[in-house]
Amino acid sequence: MSVVTSALVLGLIEAAPLVLAAMGFTLIYYLNGFTNVAFAENITFGAFFAVIFTSILGLDFYLSIIPASLLSGAVSVLTYLCIFRPALRRGVGPTEMIILSVGLSFALRYGARLIFGGDLYYFDTVSPEYYAFLGVGVTSFQITALVLVAVLASLLYVFIYRTRYGEMMRALANNEELALASGINPTLVSVLIWFIAGVAGGLAGVFFGVFSFVNTLVGWNLILIVIMISIIGGVGSIRGALIASVVVGIVTSSISLVATPLYGEVLLLVLFIAFLKIRQMRARA
Amino acid sequence: MIDLLSGYAIFSLSTVLVFVALATLLHLQFGLAGIVNFGVVGFWGLGMYAFGILLLNFQLPYFVALILAVAIVALVAFVLGWVVLDLDSQAQLVATLAFAAVIADLVTTEKWLTKGVVGLGTVPHPFGGAQSALWLLLILLVLTVGVIVYARLLGRSPFGRLLAAIRDNEVLARNLGKDTSRAKLIFFTLTSAGMGLFGALSAPVRQFLTPDLLGPGVTFSVWIALIVGGKRWPLGGLLGVLLTIFVFDFLIETYLRVPSDWAQIIPILKLMLYGVTLVLVLLFRPFGLLGDRRQPTSHL
Repeated sequence: MSVVTSALVLGLIEAAPLVLAAMGFTLIYYLNGFTNVAFAENITFGAFFAVIFTSILGLDFYLSIIPASLLSGAVSVLTYLCIFRPALRRGVGPTEMIILSVGLSFALRYGARLIFGGDLYYFDTVSPEYYAFLGVGVTSFQITALVLVAVLASLLYVFIYRTRYGEMMRALANNEELALASGINPTLVSVLIWFIAGVAGGLAGVFFGVFSFVNTLVGWNLILIVIMISIIGGVGSIRGALIASVVVGIVTSSISLVATPLYGEVLLLVLFIAFLKIRQMRARA
Repeated sequence: MIDLLSGYAIFSLSTVLVFVALATLLHLQFGLAGIVNFGVVGFWGLGMYAFGILLLNFQLPYFVALILAVAIVALVAFVLGWVVLDLDSQAQLVATLAFAAVIADLVTTEKWLTKGVVGLGTVPHPFGGAQSALWLLLILLVLTVGVIVYARLLGRSPFGRLLAAIRDNEVLARNLGKDTSRAKLIFFTLTSAGMGLFGALSAPVRQFLTPDLLGPGVTFSVWIALIVGGKRWPLGGLLGVLLTIFVFDFLIETYLRVPSDWAQIIPILKLMLYGVTLVLVLLFRPFGLLGDRRQPTSHL
């Protein structure tokens, strides 16, 4: 019983940054129809912005989340306006868009590496308080992160499925010409979506960083799992991404309770490849 | 004055040749057949480690170990190809990337076999004697030229046209009665085994094998070379490698005297510039330097 509850609690904590990252990543995929590998750097930059605000400018950790996430949103919009929108307008195909985003990802990551070096950064925070939750030891940061993620994910969900802008986005993604004919401003909606996706990615980086550490590889190490989650959840489905990231979080923490981290990753990746094949065979049958 | 063929120059040139071969094999997979393989380092690294292990741990004869290592890579490529080749390009990309991550993880964890981060060595050159490194370079040169010639011949053969047809419109090719899945699987197995062969031959070039050789930078360098040179042209990989890896890993690292403070920055700067170049090429010359500005018209 205790193993089950530990797996659940630790899984939810593990899933907290993943939920935000997967939702942000899926938003972009849903709107523009390509895999944005450079989203990894959005995660990394969010974490570094928060490090800068807390360690260098001496801001309170919870307060620094706000400017850090807004800045990540701004970076995301910049990459859209300067790189991805021109590329989409030039008719670059979906596969080439992926490679383009890999290029941007390397440019940004190693650019950040030139500035911050290969060191590990930790958040300058007051030492957390420890609680026992369902028999599992958790820190106050982890509980705060969990609550914040639950609130933000719900807000995002309501925004996409219940508001006018969410409706506009879905219209644009499903039938661009019809959406344009209905008077939807594509640039405005796209900028808004890229901003929200960037904020979500940045927050994911902050929460990931406060649980462990921050370096320039944080986003790259996470992005493979994030893309996997979006594929498992059904590409472009925000609901699917939400559910899949919780499931993957719980599966990952269950594996890590019985195996070393590297074996856990191997098992997860092999499971994922097998999942792809099984789904394809079922689709054919 | 530095000797043109000093030990380090031979090492760098051998590395450059391996990259030319990998980029040409990727041209065959991606440029010709449209297979998105982001696991280049996985096949290369598997070949390298399999060869090293068979040679050093199992004491097999040199060429038996080489052939067995390539056969292992071919088998793994066959299984992976069976799983991923009929998926869409995004799933192919993630699955092959995941495969490469699995190989890198296993090389790190299976210390009883690979010696983990301590490193596996020393892998000897195929021929002894004072010029052993030069002989290896010559073998790599012959094999690399062989791959380029094969790529050129294949592009004009019926099988090459079938692969191009699969890339451009797989449903059409299948409806014309071609077994497209089978053709892709055979071709993927063959070309990935080729990557494994050059991996195995990289083992004596490196001599000492560590898991950090298997980072994502290898796959990325091969991709940038191919995209810069021109993915649809058999010489695209060669041109791309000359403009990227040759400049950084050979000219700058061998002949440019840089202060030691800079020595650590150059590999980082290199990967950043690769990224910038990749973005610029895809935005302004999507078919590479050898390619037209526009998509070549299909003759199918």
